[in-house]
Amino acid sequence: MIAARLAWGNIGLHRRKSLLIGMIMGMGIFILFVGNSMIDTAVDGLRRMFVQGYTGDLMVTGPTEFPTTVLGETAGSEEVLPHIAQVMKYQEFLAGRKEVAGLLPLLSGQVAFGIGEQEIGQGYCFGANIAEYRSFFPDNITLVEGSWPDEHDGPWVLLSETMRDVLNASSPAPIVPGSKIIMTALANSAGTVIREVTVRGILKFNQSSRALAALSIADADTMRDLLGFASLRDGVPVLTGREAAFVSNFDPEALFENLFAGEAASSGGLGARSEEVPATMRASHGESNEAAVVPAWQFLLIRVKPGANRSALQAALSSYAQELGDGDRVQDWVAGAGKVARTAVTVRLVFDLLVAVVAVVVVMIMMNVLVISVNERLYEIGTLRAIGAKRRVVRQMILFETAFLALLAGAAGLAAGAVVLILLGKIGIRPPNLFFEALFGGSVLKPVMSAGAALRAFLWILAMGLGASFYPTMVALRIEPVVAMRGE
Amino acid sequence: MSDIIISLEHVRKVYRLDTVEVEALRDITLDIRAGDFVSIAGPSGSGKTTILNLIGCIDKPTSGTVKILGRSTSDLDDDRLTELRHRFIGFIFQTFNLIPVLNIRENVELPLLLDDAGSGRNRRKEKEWIDFLIEAVGLKDRMQHKPAELSGGQRQRVAIARALVMKPAIVLADEPTANLDSATGESILRLMHHMNGQFGTTFIFSTHDPDIVEEADHIVRLRDGQIVEDSRRNEVPMAVNAAEGGQT
Repeated sequence: MIAARLAWGNIGLHRRKSLLIGMIMGMGIFILFVGNSMIDTAVDGLRRMFVQGYTGDLMVTGPTEFPTTVLGETAGSEEVLPHIAQVMKYQEFLAGRKEVAGLLPLLSGQVAFGIGEQEIGQGYCFGANIAEYRSFFPDNITLVEGSWPDEHDGPWVLLSETMRDVLNASSPAPIVPGSKIIMTALANSAGTVIREVTVRGILKFNQSSRALAALSIADADTMRDLLGFASLRDGVPVLTGREAAFVSNFDPEALFENLFAGEAASSGGLGARSEEVPATMRASHGESNEAAVVPAWQFLLIRVKPGANRSALQAALSSYAQELGDGDRVQDWVAGAGKVARTAVTVRLVFDLLVAVVAVVVVMIMMNVLVISVNERLYEIGTLRAIGAKRRVVRQMILFETAFLALLAGAAGLAAGAVVLILLGKIGIRPPNLFFEALFGGSVLKPVMSAGAALRAFLWILAMGLGASFYPTMVALRIEPVVAMRGE
Repeated sequence: MSDIIISLEHVRKVYRLDTVEVEALRDITLDIRAGDFVSIAGPSGSGKTTILNLIGCIDKPTSGTVKILGRSTSDLDDDRLTELRHRFIGFIFQTFNLIPVLNIRENVELPLLLDDAGSGRNRRKEKEWIDFLIEAVGLKDRMQHKPAELSGGQRQRVAIARALVMKPAIVLADEPTANLDSATGESILRLMHHMNGQFGTTFIFSTHDPDIVEEADHIVRLRDGQIVEDSRRNEVPMAVNAAEGGQT
């Protein structure tokens, strides 16, 4: 095609201008490629860490006004996160979905650890069936000391190495597997619940940040006690019809003649959720004299099979949650991971916005250089028009020039970016502070080349190039063939 | 007459320079026959180039009619004018106007490459035709050279070959010898005349050189935008009443 041939020739003939535009494009691609690869690495690392180690791909939580992290943090609330009233219905619903690879019911809250009456530390603690937990997150926890708890063991806790070290710093005696420690809930709404538990082992989270490395895992019933939910320690209680009727009509305010009505209304835990007790401790009146208590869980984590459509499953699950009408929240891992993941995703957005702003400046520079280049070729373009080139040929010639420059500069920028990323991948970038450590998802960020980042960078530059060539093309198209007669 | 290939009827061309209007051509009426070797002569500013621009369909008259092969150029849009130029008119410029990034062969071939119906062309015949033209202008051994590597005369020869490659009915040459020494200018003119005889192509060239003017067999003299003489060799020169601005 003649337009391509002319464009290619012009790039060579106007080397300085081509080099200037090419350098701008190349640097743009380089920055975009390296920047996006680093952000992608951080976001992918965070996603992998949270999805495979803490949140699963999706999660159902109890009814909350704001998104809730897997650590039980809602927006500024110190209350206990409500439990999912009909968790079994979700389990049934999800069991029939082929996209689902696994489910894990979970409890979560902030607790204080103590020896005797002395508090020796605080931290986040999960409550779970440890066999289910290990099955759901097979690669994320390693037992360092002690043994895995048994289903029939009494109250237990598995401390992380980090938490063990924190506690040992204040503990009168070293904490080892077999030690008895006191756990207390920190949430105001849970009330004052104290439980003595046995440290069954010390574990290590294989993928974690500093905050997550201090997590502990306790048996679900201990966490239910601490969070103010009904404990199922002695098995699922079987209520007689009278008991069930009593529970369903239970009104704690009436017991105290409205003495604590105000506090009860604002507190969390079982008291605050008394209106939901019939839902969780549903009794079948009249027809049967027995009623099963459904175990309280705050989260139902969902692992999605590789390649399955997460968004579609999330949408289906949200519809189902609406159908159930309990106000439960269905959210993805980003919401579950909280501030860190949101920040990482936001950083990517901010980076893209910054790129957009810089792009405008770059487009202006490129546009000016291209206009100069077109003006220097008035006679050439006029001659082409005079001897029979339609405006289309002129337009194609300018667009080809930009596209060729984008390709050449793109290749150079991507090659330079690849070299830098390979080097950074080997050396690693150490985060300068805790914020970046959280953002990097670890103590070292080793960026990897991202095909997505390369493609995005190239498309950005191509779009910028084509955007920048729009006005010069208009200028070129306005050149009349009569210009050729005026002489060079 | 049936063999009239170009016809200008009461053509007027006015250029606007800021607030000033300059009348470049005043009521020009002119017929050119197929196969003519025409010189348009006159001093600078007499309107030679303007006439060539109008005949070459790269400009339109302010009033009056320019007909090329019987078609009025005023009625054609940009694409159709481009098509008309491409198919029927070849250009030779005073400053050669070769495309610097293309070699000689590619420059000659360029109009063929601009053809929309490229896929239906006979490549072998085209190649032979290009080779013939390049050989005819004496640049066979320079085919792969770039224009910058050639002398002025050689560049103008390339321009002549390029102008003929589409086998046009008309070739327009704006002061083709102005940037050449006299010997080279003469050889260029001889080449044009030879091509005119060989292919029957109508050649119209502008010049202010009296010696070159006489080489033509149809001479049109201009002064201040008006025709002052329209004569053919072997014909009695047609007297033109410049004051009245028309042929008599």
